[in-house]
Amino acid sequence: MLNLSQYSLMVGLFMVVVALACYILALTMGRSVKQAPVAAHARVGASVGSGSGAVEDPDEDPDEGRVQPRVAHPPRALAQYGTYLTWLALLFLTVTLVLRSIVVGHGPFGNQYEFSVAFGWGMVLAYVYIEQKYHVRTIALLILPLTAGILLYALSVGSTDNPLVPALQNNLLLTIHVAVAIVAYGAFAVSFAAAVLYLIQPEEGRPGLPKPALLDEIGYRSVVIAFPLLTLVVVLGAVWASIAWGSYWSWDPKETASLLTWLVYGAYLHARVARGWVGRKAAWLLIAAFGCVLLTFFGNLFFSGLHSYGKT
Amino acid sequence: MMSQDTRTRPPEQDAYESLDALDGAGGGASVAASDVLDRLWRFFINMRTGLWLMLAFGLMSFIGAMLMQAPAGLSADPASYDAWLKTLQPKYGGWTPVFDRLGFFAIFSSVWFKANMALLTTSILACSVNRAPRLWKLARHPRTRMGEVFFSHAPLRAAILVPAGPDTALEDVRGVLKAHHFRTVIDEGGDDGDLNLYADRFRWGPFGTVIAHLSFVIILIAFFVSSTTGFKNPNFVVPVGSTVQVGHGSGLAVKAMSFNDAYYPDGTPSDYASDLILYKNGVQVDRKTIRVNSPLKRDGISFYQAFFGEAAAMKVTDPDGKVLYNDATPLSWTSDDGEHSIGQFNLPAKKQVVEIVVAASGKTDPNIKAGQVEVNVFQDGTKAAVASQVVDQGKQVTLAGLSYTFERTRQFTGLIVAKDPGMNIVWVGSALLTIGLYLVFFFPHRRIWVRIRKTTGGSEILCASPMKRDLAFKPQFNQLITDIQFAGTPTSTTQEVGQNDA
Repeated sequence: MLNLSQYSLMVGLFMVVVALACYILALTMGRSVKQAPVAAHARVGASVGSGSGAVEDPDEDPDEGRVQPRVAHPPRALAQYGTYLTWLALLFLTVTLVLRSIVVGHGPFGNQYEFSVAFGWGMVLAYVYIEQKYHVRTIALLILPLTAGILLYALSVGSTDNPLVPALQNNLLLTIHVAVAIVAYGAFAVSFAAAVLYLIQPEEGRPGLPKPALLDEIGYRSVVIAFPLLTLVVVLGAVWASIAWGSYWSWDPKETASLLTWLVYGAYLHARVARGWVGRKAAWLLIAAFGCVLLTFFGNLFFSGLHSYGKT
Repeated sequence: MMSQDTRTRPPEQDAYESLDALDGAGGGASVAASDVLDRLWRFFINMRTGLWLMLAFGLMSFIGAMLMQAPAGLSADPASYDAWLKTLQPKYGGWTPVFDRLGFFAIFSSVWFKANMALLTTSILACSVNRAPRLWKLARHPRTRMGEVFFSHAPLRAAILVPAGPDTALEDVRGVLKAHHFRTVIDEGGDDGDLNLYADRFRWGPFGTVIAHLSFVIILIAFFVSSTTGFKNPNFVVPVGSTVQVGHGSGLAVKAMSFNDAYYPDGTPSDYASDLILYKNGVQVDRKTIRVNSPLKRDGISFYQAFFGEAAAMKVTDPDGKVLYNDATPLSWTSDDGEHSIGQFNLPAKKQVVEIVVAASGKTDPNIKAGQVEVNVFQDGTKAAVASQVVDQGKQVTLAGLSYTFERTRQFTGLIVAKDPGMNIVWVGSALLTIGLYLVFFFPHRRIWVRIRKTTGGSEILCASPMKRDLAFKPQFNQLITDIQFAGTPTSTTQEVGQNDA
């Protein structure tokens, strides 16, 4: 069954890559359609749709949307395939994790391979949720490469089934502590993507990209979901440390890095309502904060300390 | 058809910018910055102050995560601290003394850290004191009417024409709002003939910010309590078969009946388990096999499985046959070069310290073979051993006038023994922090002001709501407006409905 799980991961990774290709193609074709609207419209005839542009924000360019039919428009169809493929990727990654859990007998969070696959799963999950809610597919252009990267990394570290060392032998806390972290990290990745898209635009926005105000909202929404979860992760970590290590806080490097992450996102939440910090500065904080997430995630590799069992 | 202006940032929005403490950018105090105290107050309640302090805290955490941190208590012993610093030299090179000077190797007990914490705590308390009464007032005594500017510029607004008269329309609107779980408060003023209504939901949500901020202070208090009360012995060593007093006035003693370490086929550890008996004033009060994730607790004191190793069972007698020492000496230290495991015990009657040395696990020493220990006897206050010999197991030798027997090796279990009264406080703070955050983010205070005025064909209903930081309210507001539109007028048609957007 471990092999099956591994195949499922590869299929999931493949879906992620193809979905990304669909989105990129849809975006570039969407651009060329905009540059040559006459040619495009001549072909598609007179049918009238009402939906959104291909990869664009639905609010973007409503006039153009109106003369473009739902089915025959290649960028839109491609982007829709991208969405379906992303759902499939989520499905396959879920299967990967479920099968793995069944085999290893605990939540799939026992080593770096399992964390990484779970992280990739968390990012796709968060993206699928945000896409459903805000219909902003451009986010995928950043999320899917990140996902593909982390899944490739997972494959590179190898999927050996290391048994749990005594410190990790707490099924309940292992599952909740890490599962909550993974969902939070996924949502943080979405906020990072939104912040990047926000920052590469001038204030009034850029055609083809979601409006800055919407990106600001998506970045904030993601953090609103993830920040209480991160708080829970740190608290559960403290509970676990108090059971296994004899004190709720030891300034272990990984603990400290998670505190750092918590603080920077906390700063962001304040920045978003503080005069002089709204907008670009807040977006920069989101980017720095996601850097902290990655530092916390990969910290096991170079931090010494109590969390160092994640090295394998 | 009715319409709502859903622009998130209309240019005229400034007309009502900072509606009140809930809606505004926060901070803005009403006091004049006339003297130092006022300036200080304004400094501490400014959100940007808090923001910078958080980032400074973050920077220190970054340093603490990236740089090696000195083990607790090490700085009390300058010689060991210097030795520890030397081990960092290859890693940080010429930066080592600089980092050391700046306190980076003990960042969380540095003066920077303490000062920042003090400022942050002050800022949090000042903000809470500043904010809580305003939130209380908004929840208990909300403003029940708004000016005309608000109805024409609020981010969420709608104007609906209905055939019903104002009084009926007011009841209909109230009915709809109540059905949506809103509290409604009718404005009692009204001298211009208009009817005014205020409605809100989750009015206690904003107190989540106060709870979350104060919980942070509670957690800081917990850290303080943890570091100043209770105790923690991270090196509590109990040789199997021996009984060791816990001390600290607890009257407790621990006897290790057994210790087992188990391994997976690939050599990684699978289990560490110590069978412990706990005595209180000599009477057995508990027995438990503790594991890494399963400590023993008694009288607020916890016993955690932490490490293990070998002990040498030694017996020392004087020439008269009197037993001076008969116990297992844990070989729990490792020599600086990592080649030897070392343990020691005292002979108070002779003012001597005895050191037992064996080759470290996995190492070999041609002079100390398996089944042998090296015994070094030191007189109090001298650095050189007064006697030293490698001793075979089971053989009696005489050193400095006393008989020594190395009986056998035994395992010892290493425990962390700790009493931490701060722990319960930290759980209270953590619970409040989590609850506070969920309140803030998932129960945002939603407020709607309604004004109803008579028109020739019936009534005009104006609804408006601030929406900052709560885009999720937009669809709900739209639904409310739709419901109001059709409430009590099942046959009304849309042509009766107008819009306000000039």
